[in-house]
Amino acid sequence: MRREFAIADTCFLIDWSRYRRRDVLFRLFRTVFVPENVLNEVKSENVITWISEGLRSDRLTLYTPVSDEVEEARELIEESRLHSQLPSMDLPEALCLVIGRRRGYIVLTENRAALLAPKLLNRYRNVEVWRALEVLLNAIRYNIIEPDCSNPRKVFDEYCHDTLHIFPSKALNEAIREVEELCRRT
Amino acid sequence: MQEDVIREIIEEEREARELRRRMADWEFINKQPPRIREALKYYIEKDDMRLAAKLAGLNIEEFRELLRKARIPVVV
Repeated sequence: MRREFAIADTCFLIDWSRYRRRDVLFRLFRTVFVPENVLNEVKSENVITWISEGLRSDRLTLYTPVSDEVEEARELIEESRLHSQLPSMDLPEALCLVIGRRRGYIVLTENRAALLAPKLLNRYRNVEVWRALEVLLNAIRYNIIEPDCSNPRKVFDEYCHDTLHIFPSKALNEAIREVEELCRRT
Repeated sequence: MQEDVIREIIEEEREARELRRRMADWEFINKQPPRIREALKYYIEKDDMRLAAKLAGLNIEEFRELLRKARIPVVV
C-alpha cells in the first residue's frame, strides 16, 4: 500500500539525494511536498538536479506555506525552547511539523528536534515523522525494496555508506529485527 | 511515560555525540581555519547543523559536505 503525501525538509533531501536507490521515495508516496524555504536552501548540482527531475515528473511538488502556518511554526519553536531535552528547532523543520499536523502528511526529516517533537509536545503527538530509517523500513514492508535475507542490515548499511549517516543503534537493531521477521515469513 | 522518553533521548544523544567524536578526522578539523574548525567542533558537541553552518559561514548543504570531509557522521 502506497502512502499519499509526505513533506520533506532540507536535511532529509540533501542526504537522501545521495542514496543509490533514492527514487524509491517516489514509489512510497504519491507526492512529496517540498516547502519553498527548503528549495531556497539547496544549492548543489546533485540535489538540484534530483529535485528538478522530481518536480518535472510531478513526484515532487512545491509547497507554499500560508502565513497562519508560519505563525504556528514560530509558536512551535517557542514551545520547543521550553523543553530543555529538545535540541534546537528552526523554522524549516517547524514548518514541516505544522504542515504534517494540519494536513496529515508524513514529515521526512533528519532533524532530531523534529523527530522528538511528537514524543514531547502534546499538540504534535499524532504527527508521523520519518527519518531515512523509517523510509527504508517502509519501502521493505511495502515490497518496494527487496531485502537481502542473508544480510538483513544490508539496505541500511548501503544508505549509511552513501551518505555518511548513522542510525542510532537501538532503532537500527529494531529495524533489522523486523526485516529478519519479514524474511522468515516469506 | 515522559520520563522514559527523556531518558531515551539523553541516551541517544550521548551515543550520537560519542560516535561523532570518535569518527571525526581530528587532523582534518585542526587544520581548518578557525571559523570552520570551531563550527565543526560545535556541531560535534551540539548536533545543531543550521547554527554550525552559520558559524562556518556556509550554507547548510556546503556544511553537510564539510561534515563528510571531516568524517563526522550525522547520527539520527
